[in-house]
Amino acid sequence: MSAANRSADKSAVAIEIKNLTKHFGAKTAVNDVSFNVEEGHCYGLIGPNGAGKTTTFSMMCGFLIPSAGSINILGASPAESGALKGKVGVLPQDAVLPPLWPVGELLSYYGELSGLADAEKEARAALEKVQLSETWGVQAGALSHGMHKRVSMAQALMGSPPVIFLDEPTAGLDPKIAAQVRNVIRELKGKHTVVVSSHNLQELEELCDASAILDKGKLVSATSMAELTGTTAEFRVQIAKGEISVSEVRALTGAKDARMEANNVLCVTYDGTIVSVEQIITDTVALLASRKVLLTGVWRGKRLEEKVLQLT
Amino acid sequence: MEDFSEIGAIWRGETRRALKSGRALVLLILFMMFVGLTLTGTGWVNHTINAKFEQTLKDAGADTPEIRAKADEQFKAQRRDMLKSFVTDDETMLDSLAAIPLVLLIVFKLTLRFLPLFIALMGFDQLAGEVGPKSVRYLVVRVKRSSIVLGKFLSQATLFGLLLIFCTFLMVVVTKAINADFKWVDVAVWTAKLVLSSYTLSLAYLALTALFSSITRQGTVALVLNIIALFVIWFVAAVGEFFRFPGEVAAPGSLATVLSSESYFAYLRYASVWHYGGDLLHPHWARWMTAGLVHVGFGMIFMGLALIILKRRDL
Repeated sequence: MSAANRSADKSAVAIEIKNLTKHFGAKTAVNDVSFNVEEGHCYGLIGPNGAGKTTTFSMMCGFLIPSAGSINILGASPAESGALKGKVGVLPQDAVLPPLWPVGELLSYYGELSGLADAEKEARAALEKVQLSETWGVQAGALSHGMHKRVSMAQALMGSPPVIFLDEPTAGLDPKIAAQVRNVIRELKGKHTVVVSSHNLQELEELCDASAILDKGKLVSATSMAELTGTTAEFRVQIAKGEISVSEVRALTGAKDARMEANNVLCVTYDGTIVSVEQIITDTVALLASRKVLLTGVWRGKRLEEKVLQLT
Repeated sequence: MEDFSEIGAIWRGETRRALKSGRALVLLILFMMFVGLTLTGTGWVNHTINAKFEQTLKDAGADTPEIRAKADEQFKAQRRDMLKSFVTDDETMLDSLAAIPLVLLIVFKLTLRFLPLFIALMGFDQLAGEVGPKSVRYLVVRVKRSSIVLGKFLSQATLFGLLLIFCTFLMVVVTKAINADFKWVDVAVWTAKLVLSSYTLSLAYLALTALFSSITRQGTVALVLNIIALFVIWFVAAVGEFFRFPGEVAAPGSLATVLSSESYFAYLRYASVWHYGGDLLHPHWARWMTAGLVHVGFGMIFMGLALIILKRRDL
C-alpha cells in the first residue's frame, strides 16, 4: 500500500498486538497487552520505569521473543527472523553503534543489508536529514552522545520504511537538538507509522495521535490522545496586575474549575469534549481583558502527565 | 537467493572491517610469534642433536662416506621409531612423512594444537561482542538471524585462512632455508598439504567458536566456555587413545604395549573431533577424505546449534 493510500485510509491497522506476554524467569515484564496502531499515526508508548514499555517495544522490533501472544506488523510477525526487512526502521534505546566503523561506511553497510539499491546515497540523505553530514568519515566510537543518537536515528530513517520505532528519541539531548529531532518526527507523521517510547510526556502529547499507557507490565489505557487528555484539559494564565473573579471564569462555557495558584497564576480546568482549547483560552483572556486585568502569558497545562499520574 | 545476498553482504562488511582494524595485525603477530617460537626451539634442538651426531662421528674417526651413509640410515630409522611412538604407527603415513624435515613436522603438529586456541581468541566475541552492547539490534531488523551467524562465520573463516596461508608459507620457507635437501617441489606440495589439512581441521573449531559466541552476551564468558570445551575435546580423545580396543594387539615397539590396557573406553576417541585430525595428512585419499568430512560434519553440528540458539534467544 502506498503512503498516499495509507494516509487516505486512516483506519487501516499497521500494528496489531494481541495478548502479548513476556516472562523473564519468574518475573512477568509484560502481561497480556493488546492494542492496535493505525497506519500513518504517531503512537506513544507511555509508562513509568519498569512498566514494560521497552520490553514491549523490543518485542515489536523482533529483539525479544514473546512468551505468549502475537504481534503483526504490516502482515509480518517480528518473531519470525528477517520478517521486518524493509518494513521497519528502529532507533533502539541503548544499542551501541559498532565503535570502529566510520559513520558513512556503517550506514552504507546497513543500507546494503536492508537491500537498498543505492545504499551510500541513502546513507548520505539520512545523515543530512539529522544534520550530521560532517560525520561521514568519523568513527562511531568518537561521536558524542547526541551525535550517536542522531546517527542511530539516521539509520532508522534509511530507505524510508513504512513503520518507524523510536525508543527515547530525545533522551539526553540538549534542547536545541531535541527540538530538531522532534521536527524530524513531525515530518514523518502521516507518511509513516511512528511508534515513540518516551518519558517526556509533553513531547508525546505534542507529537502523538494516540498512545498506550503501561503500568507494571499491564495495559491501563490505549486510546487517542484527544480522548485521553480531553476530560482533564487545563491551561494557566500568568497575571501581572488586576483583580480576578474566579467564579466568572468558572461560569465560562466548558470550564470545569478555576483557581488561583502561587505566584499569581490562574489555573483553568475545562472539558475538552465541550469546548476546544483555542476557544476557552480566547474566552478567558477576553473576560480578563474586559476586567482590566493585565497578563504576561498563557500556557497549556500538562494534561497527559496528569492523566498518566492518575492512571499509574 | 536473498539469504545468500544477506550472508554475502555481512561476510564482505565484517571481513573488510576486520582487515582494516588493528585486530588482524595483532592476530598475525600472535600467530607469527607462536610459529617463530616453535621453529626456533625445535630448530635449536634439531641443530644440537645433529651437531652432537657429527661430533661423535668425528671423534670416533669414522667420518667416511660408507659409515656416514650407514649412520644416516640409522638416524632415519630412529626418526621413524620416534614418529611411530608419538605421531602414528601407520606405515603408509610414516613413509609419506619421511619426505618432510622433522623440524617442520614437529612445528606443524604443535601449531595444530595451538590453532583451536588461536581460533577461540580470534572469534570469541564475533556474536557475543555484538549482543552485549546490543549493536546486533541494528542487524536483526534488517537480516535473518541465521544470516548474521553464517556471515560472521564466513568472515572469521576468511580472515583465519589468510593468516594460516601466510604463516604456513613462512614456516615452510624457513624450514627450507635451514634444510638444503628439502626440495622446492616438496616445499610447494607440502605448503599446499599443510594449509589444506590445517584449514579443514580448523573448520570444526571455527564453528565451535561461533557456537560459544552465540550462547552468551559476554565475550569473556564465551572465551572461557570455548577453552573449557577444547579441553574436554582433547581430554576425551586422550582417554580414548590411551586404551586399546578389546582384543586389539599393540603394535610391536609402540608405547601402547607399555602404557595401554584394553577397554571399551577406547571407543571414546570417536566422540572427539580431535581424534580425526591425524588422518588429514594421510596419503590415501579415502582416509584424508573421511577425516575431512568428519571435521566438516562436526562443524555443521556446531553451526546448527549456533543457529538454533541465536534464533531462539533474546537479543
